[in-house]
Amino acid sequence: MAHLNLVQAVNQALLTEMARDERVLVLGEDVGLDGGVFRATEGLYEKFGPQRAIDTPLAEAGIVGTAIGMAVYGLRPVCELQFDGFMLPAFDQILSHASRLRGRSRGRFQVPLVIRAPYGGGIRALEHHSESPEQFYVHIPGLKVVIPATPADAKGLLISAIRDPDPVVFLEPKRLYRAFRQEVPEGDHAIPLGQARVARAGRDVTLIGWGAQVHTALQAAELLAAQEGISVEVLDLRTLSPLDLETISQSVEKTGRVVIAQEAPRSFGFSSELTALITERLFLHLEGPVVRVTGFDTAMPYFSLEQYYLPDVGRVARGVRQTLSA
Amino acid sequence: MAQLNLVQAVNDALRSEMQLDDRLVILGEDVGVDGGVFRATEGLLKQFGPRRVLDTPLSEVGIVGSSIGMAAYGLHPVVEVQFSGFLPPAFDQIVSHAARIRWRSRGRYHLPLVVRAPYGGGIRSPEHHSESPEAFYAHVGGLKVVIPSTPADAKGLLIAAIRDPDPVIFLEPKHIYRAFRQEVPEGEYILPLGRAQIAQEGDDLSLFAWGAMTQIALAAAEELDQAGISAEVVDLRTISPLDAETIVASVRKTGRALIVHEAPRQGGVGAEVAALINDKALMSLQAPVLRVAGFDTIMPLLQLEDYYLPDAGRVVRAARRLMTY
Repeated sequence: MAHLNLVQAVNQALLTEMARDERVLVLGEDVGLDGGVFRATEGLYEKFGPQRAIDTPLAEAGIVGTAIGMAVYGLRPVCELQFDGFMLPAFDQILSHASRLRGRSRGRFQVPLVIRAPYGGGIRALEHHSESPEQFYVHIPGLKVVIPATPADAKGLLISAIRDPDPVVFLEPKRLYRAFRQEVPEGDHAIPLGQARVARAGRDVTLIGWGAQVHTALQAAELLAAQEGISVEVLDLRTLSPLDLETISQSVEKTGRVVIAQEAPRSFGFSSELTALITERLFLHLEGPVVRVTGFDTAMPYFSLEQYYLPDVGRVARGVRQTLSA
Repeated sequence: MAQLNLVQAVNDALRSEMQLDDRLVILGEDVGVDGGVFRATEGLLKQFGPRRVLDTPLSEVGIVGSSIGMAAYGLHPVVEVQFSGFLPPAFDQIVSHAARIRWRSRGRYHLPLVVRAPYGGGIRSPEHHSESPEAFYAHVGGLKVVIPSTPADAKGLLIAAIRDPDPVIFLEPKHIYRAFRQEVPEGEYILPLGRAQIAQEGDDLSLFAWGAMTQIALAAAEELDQAGISAEVVDLRTISPLDAETIVASVRKTGRALIVHEAPRQGGVGAEVAALINDKALMSLQAPVLRVAGFDTIMPLLQLEDYYLPDAGRVVRAARRLMTY
């Protein structure tokens, strides 16, 4: 096994799938000669040539629109959009076309398309470079939404996303791209979509996160265990849509208390959907209100100000204490 | 007072504000010579001329983008996008620019901009003409989202939206544009944004709805009343910011909550209302909060929408589940 960071694992997944299936191709801004703004597509152009690693103009609506046509006619395009904030010009293509062609054609056409984008804060970037837009895509039927939190998951989930017959929005937590390395299985390593992972087992509280927040949650769990003897179970959702309600239920039935850590603005975010589902399905198991620890209902602030915006270990730990005192 | 239907009340609000404030301009596809696809802007071109009622090309991104510039430089544009399914091409302008200029400029600029769009199902239309996209806009900080459910509310809330210093997404339930008439106050009539309305008082459970679903909730409440169940119907009127106080007070009184919306269930506005109730009133609940919503598929075409949209029967069945929990 190779010791890889998250962005190298993404590169491995692309390399593996492109070698295995000649219908797989990548397209996006600077994905070819340059190897991608974060180097996720490095070496693909040299290895597979300009027909399969396509440098596009700066036009996200065009990239996704073109990819939809490619997918409908038998290719397996993987788009890269350079940053989360640049996905919005393609929103109409994603919502009105990619997610609907199967329904619109009564199953005659399908769109095996992956839209990759680095997302989330933590790199002290400028505007439009730190957003967490997952909820927009979760609210669109016909799309899957996948967010890895580790290098091995990034590889396994991206391979499954590429093999999925329907469009997948694949959001990569850019803060973790080079944060740590991990053993990543070589070659064919697919992790099924729609399955959450118990990142840390515990008894007292269920702490749910995705993307970079999984690591904040794990650090909070460690701190609470060491200093206060609180046993926190951390769930890494991995796929937001479709959601693995079974793993969540098993955990909440055991703990009776839930905290959700989310980077995106609080109101109308994914943690609201989780809270609604948990209170609806697991009402009699709950010992207190579900606690949401989230970003704020403003635009993501710039540079160092983001540290006041993103949930950190202290805020997540306070959320856990709050649910225990309910 | 005049007896108006909802689309006439929208027209009345626009006319009344255009008379009072010459900074107000209307722009959109067919809003001028044609009077608007649903006649919401009828007569305005004739009365106010082509500099205040602008027929635009078919380009939603251009319409919203132009209006952002107009608003930043002192005009009060009211954009019409013909159907809410045509809002996504303008999504980037709305999310990345309209919602953020105040914040980006540290308060130097603000955008008194209204984006109106007919929304929702019920008219058996083709694709892209029946969507309920309110949750997308509610998740964007810096935007307000307003949805009227009666002619009088349409007038009062639209005037408040026009006078608001910040961008407002104003979604009009096209299903009830001409469904009924109501006394609508003439001239200046303003309803504050951010306040829900108790459409009917009750004691046993709270039904939360907005837009055309308010009528469904009221019909369900009547059916429940005949079965001896007293339902309170709360019409949210403003989706963002939510009127947490009214929502929580109603749930504390009744102990049971049911949210009714047309949009797909997953990630819909119902989730936030349920989460809010979890935060502020969990201990008052005698049963879980339930959502009666559209399904997690695309809105089906033509008469298939009858199976998709919540109706009084589905609401009554969910209410009975709550009462027997």
